[in-house]
Amino acid sequence: MDEQFDFKKKYRNILIILMTGGILVSLAVILISKPGASRIWANVLLNNQYFIGLSLGAAFFLAVHRVAQSGWHTLLQRLPDAMTTFLPVAFILMLLIYFGIHNLYSWTDKNLSDKVIEGKRAWLNIPFFFARLVFYFAGWIALTSMIRKNSNTLMTSSDLKYHNRKILFSGLFLVFYGITVSASSWDWIMSLDAHWYSTLFGWYVLIGMFVTSLAFITLLIWFLKRLGYLKYIRPDHIHDMAILIFAFSIFWTYQWYAQYELIWYGHLPEETSYYITRLHHFKIIFFINLGINFSVPFFGLITINSKRQIGWVAIIAAIVLMGHWIDYWLMIMPATAGDKAGIGVLEVCMTLFYASLFIFIVLRSLSTGPLVIKNDPYIEESLNYES
Amino acid sequence: MLQAVRKLLDNKETITDVLSPFPVHGLDETLSIKRSRIPVGGFIFGALGAILAFGFQAWVFTVSYPLIIGGKPFFSIPTFIPITFEVTVLFAGLSMVTAFLIRSRLKPDISFKPLDERITDDRFVILVDTADKELTLNRVKSLLSGIHTLEIR
Repeated sequence: MDEQFDFKKKYRNILIILMTGGILVSLAVILISKPGASRIWANVLLNNQYFIGLSLGAAFFLAVHRVAQSGWHTLLQRLPDAMTTFLPVAFILMLLIYFGIHNLYSWTDKNLSDKVIEGKRAWLNIPFFFARLVFYFAGWIALTSMIRKNSNTLMTSSDLKYHNRKILFSGLFLVFYGITVSASSWDWIMSLDAHWYSTLFGWYVLIGMFVTSLAFITLLIWFLKRLGYLKYIRPDHIHDMAILIFAFSIFWTYQWYAQYELIWYGHLPEETSYYITRLHHFKIIFFINLGINFSVPFFGLITINSKRQIGWVAIIAAIVLMGHWIDYWLMIMPATAGDKAGIGVLEVCMTLFYASLFIFIVLRSLSTGPLVIKNDPYIEESLNYES
Repeated sequence: MLQAVRKLLDNKETITDVLSPFPVHGLDETLSIKRSRIPVGGFIFGALGAILAFGFQAWVFTVSYPLIIGGKPFFSIPTFIPITFEVTVLFAGLSMVTAFLIRSRLKPDISFKPLDERITDDRFVILVDTADKELTLNRVKSLLSGIHTLEIR
């Protein structure tokens, strides 16, 4: 029960090499092929959004389970907790957007004579944009670190006070997250197409975030089990992770369809413009997005046996992770880079950099304590869990 | 309950059925009951429903009775999706209920007198197959002597 993840020098080195390699190759690509400033900044924004989504989705996973006082996730709660430690780094990376804001958001242009954007000035202006950004991150970082602290105190203390406090902060986080995740998705993604709006957008992004983090948690379990840790995580726990991936992939498709169908039916020019750019110029990626994120988890995880094999669930999770990266790509790239948008060496290397940075931070945070919080009141329930 | 079932099985008694007021974890595995095939039927009928609903709409809106609605093309997939989805769920649900009723031989005018009224309320029951009633009764009594039982008959 007291096993601790050993973040070996080997893994550290591999991740650092991938990180530096990713950033160096990206720089080289930028210098040699000159992809244009908007495409570079769009890459930064895309990966920021994706990995913030991974952290927030993990925090959401924990908060939901804790507020519902569920028992089964208790054995693996340190994995999502470690994923939330990326948020402070993400804050710094997100502040970098300041230098590229004119390349990304057309509404930042002061000399724009555009009636529609003039009407949105009260919300879309640079000082308020950054004030909101700081506000979101302040709340997220404060609440997740409070939850993490109280949860980790249970490693040494067996006072129920900390357990109850953890639940209280989780509840507060859910309220704050529910509002800010919508608002941040309007700010960071929807305002890229400043004329376009969709009232469903916040939900759509939230579910995408949740699916990605579920997939990442599953991959993390698979990785740690391969190294011989987490012996007590049985097929029953994997089964539940797979059910969640399955269910929320379908829910994601539902959101996707609800957004698409209403815009398709209504046929208002300011709404359809979003889909026309994506459907006409990026037809293949558009349908790959839908295919991967719906069909793969749906048909891949539909039987009980497939949900209980960690190897198979990990393959599906990896595909889903890629699929949702493409989903964010479709939201961000066509709006910013326009015709220059594509998936090339630059995109791959930037993502490689971010991914290895993210994994490095998560694994380092995991290695700071035992993998199981042994004084958690639900530990026994989780050990004997049957799904 | 599980303890009693295991003890009886270990001593080569044939258990015909076990009744309980709520699902007991691990009971199916102990009794080595095979997993139900109803979900497979549900999937097949769901797929059938999807194909039927989609095909029917495609036929109606392109061949049988084409109508211009909101200037959309006759064959417009997005409009067909909600109905396809609903019919899929309907087919899957109804087929699973029907399959369950047929397989468990439940029909409307069935009459059945339970062994004991309490079975249908809150009691756990293990039914043991008997060739020789007296002999089995004594054997079961001695086997279950260590376990809290209400009644053996």
